[in-house]
Amino acid sequence: MLLLCILEIDAAFGCVKSLRHACRLLHLSKPVIAVLESPKLVLANSKLKMDPDERLCTETWAKSSSGLESLDTHSNNSSLTNFDRHQKKWEESSFDRHGVRTSGQQLSGSKRPFASDIDGQMQMNNLQGKQIPEAPNMQNWDPKAMLSNLSFLEKKIHQLQDLVQLVIGRRGQAMSQADEILAQQQQLITADLTSIIVQLISTAGSLLPSVKNSESLSSQLGQFGGMMSQAARVSDNVVHNNANKMEDHHDPTGGLEDHNMKSDDEAEEGENLPPGSYEILQLEKEEILAPHTHFCTICGKGFKRDANLRMHMRGHGDEYKTPAALAKPHKESSSDPVLIKRYSCPFVGCKRNKDHKKFQPLKTILCVKNHYKRTHCDKNYTCRRCHTKKFSVIADLKTHEKHCGRDQWLCSCGTTFSRKDKLFGHIALFQGHTPAIPLEGAGPSDQGQNSVEAANKVEQLDFGYKLDDPREDPATYFSPLGFDTSNMASFQEFPRHLFEDAESSFSFLLSCDDSPKNGRYAAPNDLE
Amino acid sequence: MKMKSPILLLTDDLLLKIISLLTDDTDRKSLRSTCKPFLHLDSLLRTHLRLLHPDFLPSLLPKLPSLSSLDLSVCPRIDAAAVSLLLPSAPRLTRLHLARCSALPPHSLRALATACANLQTLDLSYCTSFGDLEAAAISAAACLRDLNLDKCLNVTDVGLAQVAAGCPELERLSLKWCFDVTDIGIWFLSKKCLHLKRLDISYLKVSNESFRWISGMEKLEALQMVGCGSVDDNGLLHIANGCASLKVLDISRCDRLSMDALCSVIHGHNRLLELHAGYCFPELSMSFVDQLKDLKSLKMLRIDGARVRDSMLKFISNNCKCLTEVGLGKCRVTDTGILHLVTGCVNLKVLDLTCCSDLTDSAILAIARSCRDLLCLKLECCNLLGEGSLNHLGSHCRFLEEIDLTDCSGINDIGLKYLSRCSELVSLKLGLCVNISDKGLSYMASNCSKIRELDLYRCEGIGDGGLASISRGCKKLKGLNLSYCDGVTDEGMAYLSSLEELSSLEMRSLRNITATGLTKLAAGCRRLAELDVKNCKGIDDSGFWALAYYSRNLQQINLSGCAISDVGLCMVMGNLTRLQDAKLLDLARVSADGVEVALRACCACLKKVKLSASLRRLLSPQIIQTLEANGCKIRWD
Repeated sequence: MLLLCILEIDAAFGCVKSLRHACRLLHLSKPVIAVLESPKLVLANSKLKMDPDERLCTETWAKSSSGLESLDTHSNNSSLTNFDRHQKKWEESSFDRHGVRTSGQQLSGSKRPFASDIDGQMQMNNLQGKQIPEAPNMQNWDPKAMLSNLSFLEKKIHQLQDLVQLVIGRRGQAMSQADEILAQQQQLITADLTSIIVQLISTAGSLLPSVKNSESLSSQLGQFGGMMSQAARVSDNVVHNNANKMEDHHDPTGGLEDHNMKSDDEAEEGENLPPGSYEILQLEKEEILAPHTHFCTICGKGFKRDANLRMHMRGHGDEYKTPAALAKPHKESSSDPVLIKRYSCPFVGCKRNKDHKKFQPLKTILCVKNHYKRTHCDKNYTCRRCHTKKFSVIADLKTHEKHCGRDQWLCSCGTTFSRKDKLFGHIALFQGHTPAIPLEGAGPSDQGQNSVEAANKVEQLDFGYKLDDPREDPATYFSPLGFDTSNMASFQEFPRHLFEDAESSFSFLLSCDDSPKNGRYAAPNDLE
Repeated sequence: MKMKSPILLLTDDLLLKIISLLTDDTDRKSLRSTCKPFLHLDSLLRTHLRLLHPDFLPSLLPKLPSLSSLDLSVCPRIDAAAVSLLLPSAPRLTRLHLARCSALPPHSLRALATACANLQTLDLSYCTSFGDLEAAAISAAACLRDLNLDKCLNVTDVGLAQVAAGCPELERLSLKWCFDVTDIGIWFLSKKCLHLKRLDISYLKVSNESFRWISGMEKLEALQMVGCGSVDDNGLLHIANGCASLKVLDISRCDRLSMDALCSVIHGHNRLLELHAGYCFPELSMSFVDQLKDLKSLKMLRIDGARVRDSMLKFISNNCKCLTEVGLGKCRVTDTGILHLVTGCVNLKVLDLTCCSDLTDSAILAIARSCRDLLCLKLECCNLLGEGSLNHLGSHCRFLEEIDLTDCSGINDIGLKYLSRCSELVSLKLGLCVNISDKGLSYMASNCSKIRELDLYRCEGIGDGGLASISRGCKKLKGLNLSYCDGVTDEGMAYLSSLEELSSLEMRSLRNITATGLTKLAAGCRRLAELDVKNCKGIDDSGFWALAYYSRNLQQINLSGCAISDVGLCMVMGNLTRLQDAKLLDLARVSADGVEVALRACCACLKKVKLSASLRRLLSPQIIQTLEANGCKIRWD
């Protein structure tokens, strides 16, 4: 569930790139901003809390920024001639997408499909509330993940709001601001909005697997699926700059697969902030490899985590024990419109180095550390199980060791699999292949060995009589027990008949001793 | 000089033809005990052998040229050595019964499976320690068609995959209680074993997904899925839409299923012959009963535990006229309901009315009048039944073979007199019938000479006289329960000693039995394989010595609460080389050392032992290890 959520977010980051291209193409024209505005509607519709003030100020911003009067039609049912079939089907939807449609109409021909995508996505969002009770089989749809996505979005929008408010405030103070700065601010806001949209799309895109699974959904849903897959394609970098191309992709399943198969790495790769929209930091090699990043200003002791440092500081005096000193340093998100920080790898020639032609920045310090160690350092940690795999990041080693050996699913052909179902898929595919049974740790099924061991242990036991090998002939070590016949006086009174075998009457095959041996009672024994 | 009997003048061919007409095992046994030529002829014909001890293998196998089926399940110890004796004649074996042979190591199992090139049927049930290694070993038997892996507790999907890949011809497979088999194993099975006709997955923890795969088995005729608690309607719906050849379905004790799902199964499979749905539903729905009309050829219907209304039984009887077996245990049916049922279903052979305590004599009258072919009638706990019921049964149901009258307190001697007219009776259960006495038993014994199983549990009116008449009349008696029949004394035991066929005797808490009685019994009943003398406080060591000496076929013994001493226990456990199951609780006169020595004496052949929990610390760890290593299961009580 959490993973799904993370994937969504990653996907969101991944598709910033393509949208950015689209935005650049538009030169940040009015309609795009209108489009960018639309997620707010969706959020409002999703019954997330949304102050009227916020809405007001966003609209104010929209108006003031470049005079988007047409956006006021959000709340009005503007006359529209160009309904498409989706709209007819979703007339009952509580929110008004006509405004968006209107703005879509103002777009140049190449932009229109994009708007309709978002339209579709909004419908999907609406659908979510309506279809779920009717289709209980939508197993993949995870409301919790959806909620966390939405609250994440909400947070982002709040941040952006603060930012916009700030811009407005500053504009009011100094009208003489340079156009450059204004453009930069606008760019920044646009970038944020873009990422919000993209996340929304991918959030709605999480409904897609359920569309795929649910057989009961009608063809109209299939169409939405198609829409959504287009959106997914945007996020997958399948379609780069050309928004027109999206019109061509009307295959829902194809889009779905693309969306599902995307991995985390690709998402990370996909981040493509425009140069200048972020600040590039480059740590030195020594700094990266230093075990500690937080140092005590008094004694110089190093810590990996700031929290540990704060705990440590308590020992240096009462002033460090106040709740304020111990509290997590508050992120001043509202005060400064800080540029996004991105990191560069100090290794010259690396793609992650800022001088590289196709430079791709690293997101966090942790990313830098892991990247540097993994790519440019020796692999000093060897797996203690297989003694072959080597790692430079100790966490990687630990992850590997958790799975190394133990969960190896082995086929008779020698191929190993990390998962049982993969192995079974393999053996089902190839005639004559069978799952191999690992010899070590076979546990209860490894009876032979155990029994021999146990038998050997018994051999060492001194019990007054000698056990030669308990497994060889168990009846023999009863005989030497030495019961004296004198104790068995009554026993000898019994007549000794030939032993008769109940089932097969093999009595004549057996010789049963009729007389006691050597004055001692000998066990009448089949084995003799 | 030997007198040559005229029959021996016939040629061997003719004799063989005559002998082959003997179908009953006991007749064959008396034949081969007569003389050597007969033994020789019998051994020429013999195809099946159930061995009591593996040591007979080398001498017997060469003498039985047509042997194709071998049962080693009651042998005390089948290990690598025993298998090596078997290997030379392995190629002609087609059936091999190795139930409870846990001591068999995987490598000899593999050797056996490889050597038995024609093996078609293999039974490894209750080899509780068997797992994937053993499953891999048997996968060497490529022509295997019938495999039983019941309670091979360590078999996982990997082992199942080995079998499925190695034995593609498999037609019947039982995986009952193989708890580690999951959906993926079933999936693989459905992919590889396309000829599967019968599949038992009872008590597995498989989910609905498995049934998706099973529904794809085109040739599957019988599916047993008793107690699959993780399966719900969606799983059953898969079956409803697949398994085109399904004829037998057992969904007993699957408590998450609804009647509607079962209805759709019936809708999809109207050629169903058997439907077992006992203890699934609290109540039958009318829609289900209505759906039953599609099953024109249904022969068996078990709906135990579900409340049934009279009208439903009427509907069933009107539509399913072919029914031969109906299970209505704990359904609380009424006389009217039974009347409705038997008017239509006149071919009933087996009727289970356990705990239908509202039934009266009129219901039995209706049954007896309509169902003349009745073979088996279970009336446990039908308290209102009286001698009238037995009168009707005795006068109409001449073919009755099995009747369960446990806890029917209305049954008395006169009733038994009526019942004795059912001269074909094989199994008679009279437990807790306190109103019967020796007299009633003598009626039964004088007319029903075919009785093999007799249950007289807590029949307090029974004494030595009853046993005397039984021992005279029921010479074929194999199983007898005399527990808590206080009237039985040593004299009764003396009578029983004339029952040569007696193999299972339960005689708990018979206070009047002494060593003398047990000695006589042991000396007479040489076939005794199961003996329960729990709490027979009157028997002392001399009785157990006799047991140790005579009852060498004894496989199971319960000595709990007996006055046996250290030495006696050692004698019993050491001498009885076929003993496989012993219950040794509350032995007041036996010390921990005594138990230790006794266990050492028989540790190689024991497969199951019950000991008091306090001994766990007192016994040496070595003996416990040895027992477990030999495949013996210890239960601490």
